[in-house]
Amino acid sequence: MILLENVYYKYEPEGIEALRGIYLQVREGEHLALIGPNGCGKTTLVRHLNALLLPASGKVTVGGLNTNDPKHQADIRSLVGMVFQNPDNQIVGMTVEEDVAFGPENLRLPTVEIKKRVAAALGRVGISELAYRNIENLSGGEKRLVAIAGVLAMRPRYIALDEPTAFLDPAASKRVLNIIDQLHSEGVGIIHITHNMAEAALTRRIVVMNEGRIYLDGNPREIFGKFGMLKQIGMQLPQVTELLIKLKESGFPVRTDIVNMEDAVEQISSLTRQIKD
Amino acid sequence: MYHTGAFIKGQSLIYNLDPRIKLAATICLSIFILWVKPLLAFVVGIALFCAVFASGIHLRTIGQALKPLLFFIALIFLVHALFNEGEALIEIPFFGLSLSYSGLQQGFIVVWRFLCLLVAAILLTLTTAPSQMIAAIKYFLRPLKLLHVPVDDIAVMIMLALRLMPILLTEKERVEIAQKARGYNLRQSGLIMRIKAFLSLVSIVLSGVFRRADELALAMEGRNYRRGERTSLVELRLTSSDYFVLTFLGISSVIFIALNCCFG
Repeated sequence: MILLENVYYKYEPEGIEALRGIYLQVREGEHLALIGPNGCGKTTLVRHLNALLLPASGKVTVGGLNTNDPKHQADIRSLVGMVFQNPDNQIVGMTVEEDVAFGPENLRLPTVEIKKRVAAALGRVGISELAYRNIENLSGGEKRLVAIAGVLAMRPRYIALDEPTAFLDPAASKRVLNIIDQLHSEGVGIIHITHNMAEAALTRRIVVMNEGRIYLDGNPREIFGKFGMLKQIGMQLPQVTELLIKLKESGFPVRTDIVNMEDAVEQISSLTRQIKD
Repeated sequence: MYHTGAFIKGQSLIYNLDPRIKLAATICLSIFILWVKPLLAFVVGIALFCAVFASGIHLRTIGQALKPLLFFIALIFLVHALFNEGEALIEIPFFGLSLSYSGLQQGFIVVWRFLCLLVAAILLTLTTAPSQMIAAIKYFLRPLKLLHVPVDDIAVMIMLALRLMPILLTEKERVEIAQKARGYNLRQSGLIMRIKAFLSLVSIVLSGVFRRADELALAMEGRNYRRGERTSLVELRLTSSDYFVLTFLGISSVIFIALNCCFG
């Protein structure tokens, strides 16, 4: 389990607090979306999960290991993988295979084990055929998959993904989301930062941040049910929820706590049936 | 996008050679190209072109990699052809220059040597993955560990330098496009304006690259990078073909040294 207790963080001693008293618990195998306006502290928070940033006060523990303890930091970084927003800033190797091997090489694994892990990680994200390709010849979506494979090769128990579908076309986004879903079904804990509400609605739990604090925490229906509070901090709702709210405002008897397309279609179908009858 | 000299996956004797053998052979070949008499340099060059054919690399690919350097090659040839003292074949009316037979001969020899060096380096980088190359460099630097030289860190630094080079070029292109998009036309500017524009381009590109390097350092830390010893994806193991090439190189080196002395 990852536990953040009363975490405060400042980038500069005289600057404003990027995190202000965060309490958060992430269980193993949980799929959590982290949403909030720009600059609210989402990236700062996830960088605390694998000891890239250390709290100014408060405590972060991963599987009982305190991130403040330098002795534990290597173990913590093996437990929590981090996929950065821009894969170009994360990819170290010149070829796909070399980059994916970078983490296992740092873990000082033997060559045979590194090769096994690289092949397995590339297979898991479906890019085995790109193993020897030069990084510069890959598309944005492929680079994102390489970044994910690089983290998977370290066999982490949790993966924090910072806007993994940003700048991707719908097909590449869908591919990345399917991989995230598959990892979750294999028991990997997912912490998924996103500005896309439809993506957040696919998770089991949404944590909304605002001005360095946890603003809301609950399942997608609970969170998007509080649309007044979300609008207050400039957040949007999933398009299907927006549509149902507009229908309700126009006098149609529909539920507004629906966050996914399938439930929305069913709701609107039943409404049209009622109108016909 | 093709990058000059970037590794291309393939299968041939040269591809399958141990990177240490390839690196040692390239260094050995380069010394011979520069050191031996012109006639022998010609023979070394022909051997090198045979190696290119044996590697399975298209001559067009080698040509593509040489293309950005054609201007310098032409310049080297002209400097030698025009500034060499000898019986003038053609007098050039300006600057008192003349084209001499010995100048042309000298230019041709220097360009031949330079071309051979470039082809040897290109062949090495096209047929050797960067990770293999780094493993070979690390192997040769290993004795320096006794002097507490951080060999593993040097290997990572080489890897990062190779990675940052295309990023630097992409960043430069991005800034140039952004400048053009806002109506910045360098072609219509004077020399001072061009120098100013170049300096501003350098500062923007460098600040962008430093920002990226910071982020990359953080990402490396996140992937458990620590200074000191690391294991490697590349396993260095000599096979029978490596021993064969090594023996061949040894014998040819002795023959070349002997011939070079005889010609002297």
